[in-house]
Amino acid sequence: MSVASDSPVHSSSSDDLAAFLETELDSDSDSSSESFPIGQAQDDDDAQVSNHRLKRQKLEYPEDETENVASVTFSEEISEASSSKVPCEHPGTFGNMCFVCGQKVEVTGVSFGYIHKGFKLQQDEVTRLRDIDMKALQSQRKLCLVLDLDHTLLNSTVLRDLKPEEEYLKSHTHSLQDVSGGHIFMLEFMHMMTKLRPFVHSFLKEASTMFVMYIYTMGDRPYARQMAKLLDPKGEYFGERIISRDDGTVKHQKSLDVVLGQEKAVLILDDTENAWPGHKDNLIVIERYHFFASSCKQFDHRFQSLSQLKSDESEPDGVLSAVLKVLKQTHSLFFQDGGEDLSSRDVRSLLKQVRKEILKGCKVVFSRVFPTKCQAEDHPLWRVAEGLGATCATEVDASVTHVVAMDVGTEKVRWAIREKKFVVHRGWIDAANYLWKKQPEENFGLEQLKKQGTDDVTVEK
Amino acid sequence: LRETELRGERKKRIGMFFHMVLERNMQLHPRFFGRSLRENLVSKLMKDVEGTISGRHGFVLAVTGIESIGKGLIRDGTPFVTFPVKYRCVVFRPFEGEVLEAVVTTVMQHGFFAEAGPLQLFVSNHEMQDGMEYQAGDIPNYTSSDASVRIQKDCEVLLKITTVSVVATEIFCLGSIKGKYLGLLNDRA
Repeated sequence: MSVASDSPVHSSSSDDLAAFLETELDSDSDSSSESFPIGQAQDDDDAQVSNHRLKRQKLEYPEDETENVASVTFSEEISEASSSKVPCEHPGTFGNMCFVCGQKVEVTGVSFGYIHKGFKLQQDEVTRLRDIDMKALQSQRKLCLVLDLDHTLLNSTVLRDLKPEEEYLKSHTHSLQDVSGGHIFMLEFMHMMTKLRPFVHSFLKEASTMFVMYIYTMGDRPYARQMAKLLDPKGEYFGERIISRDDGTVKHQKSLDVVLGQEKAVLILDDTENAWPGHKDNLIVIERYHFFASSCKQFDHRFQSLSQLKSDESEPDGVLSAVLKVLKQTHSLFFQDGGEDLSSRDVRSLLKQVRKEILKGCKVVFSRVFPTKCQAEDHPLWRVAEGLGATCATEVDASVTHVVAMDVGTEKVRWAIREKKFVVHRGWIDAANYLWKKQPEENFGLEQLKKQGTDDVTVEK
Repeated sequence: LRETELRGERKKRIGMFFHMVLERNMQLHPRFFGRSLRENLVSKLMKDVEGTISGRHGFVLAVTGIESIGKGLIRDGTPFVTFPVKYRCVVFRPFEGEVLEAVVTTVMQHGFFAEAGPLQLFVSNHEMQDGMEYQAGDIPNYTSSDASVRIQKDCEVLLKITTVSVVATEIFCLGSIKGKYLGLLNDRA
């Protein structure tokens, strides 16, 4: 390895110095570092010392300590001075240097590119920071909220994909000079148009009183920052906490490893459950916001998008409003009683608790919803219903309140009609799951489904 | 440059800008030959080199002129011709021990990040005057114990470079504001 490429200081020093170094480094390790002339200019001293370190860092650590002590007497500006008092723990790196002592260290640890380029923190340090963060949050009575962008808080489309019936939107766009209050924006320089979800401004304002918020998107960094400017022009909601796909550690996956908050105090709001494989318990899945036609197409939906229907989600009764209520509920449960010991509270179990209130008191029997081969209790829909607080059963009895079926011809359905019980299709459960509220059963009657009309003798569970 | 290097070796490091002659082998496709060959070569050079980082020389800021263009040699097996071009340019290089002004960009518990032109620096909280404390909040900052000094985003600081590190084509520096006359210069405008 040539000295020149290694350290810029040497490349501009005289050639004799470079040659001298080469010989020093090539000769015996111990002797050369001992005999190292300390009479040189102080700054060369630093660089030489760090150069030695780069070559033999693991072996020479104790030796570096003695050199540090020697160096201290020559200049107090040498940052290694701090390590002579207490060995530096190298909590993290900037480039390939420990940012505390300047030593060149192995670059491991989690990359926090969204804070600054080249910045990494060791896992221990991340844990330490999370603990500090937890205390700070508790004193402010706040939790952590991680927000997805696309289809959650907004919907973007490339201008090229705009359908002719969507062209009218171009005349409705809000100015970029002062984005407050605007909902639809034209971003020519990115060839995009973005529509913010209704209620998003009120949502962010209220949520910011209860949560420290992060953006975590699968878009790239410039896109993420631009969207943040639209949602948060003053930078008061998100600050620097904008995580893009360039900052994630695993491709195509999101994880809380780059979030400086403890997992038991973080809630996530995202439209895609599979993006968070390790944190499903922290996740509130939200219904996708399809404003533009291209968005519907992306998910192979055949229905018309909101822009084509010239309509939009309702502000007060929309999805964000419902989610905000859930967030408020969970937040108040966490800080309930104002007790000192909040360390035992876990936002994940509280979220489960809130969820279990939705269908509390309902006893549900499924009719011809599950394939015969599968164990009913293992079916996802059964699990969802239980998660929502309902009791599930395989056979009807007097305590049953709802029969979930896919067609009218079954025995269980006939029984339900006789006994004046509710008959609904599975959409009733799904809606409760997304809207966090029990839905009126009339809206989910079986008349809305196509009649199957089969008389199969399929054994039903 | 030689003089500056020699002077630089002694205690005081002179500035960070150098006006020097560098050489580069430029490859050109025959379609660019003809009357505007030299122009094409120069514009390609500027596009290739301005704004880049050389590990040895630092940030190449601007090409100021062409010293010479050598004879072009045809590369075997291809139609491309390689011209050795000597050019004068302004480079910007950080030195350890150098004192310079920087603008604070991000403040964190461990210290703050600052930039001096294209150079990114980090000043750890161990490298600040005793008594400087980190204050979290909407505008994170470092405040002295008597509250007379507050360093936050967009502040100008005078700092001394303690370590320079070149990683691939990036230059990272660590700095310190622990000395006399170092530290906050102005409040943000």
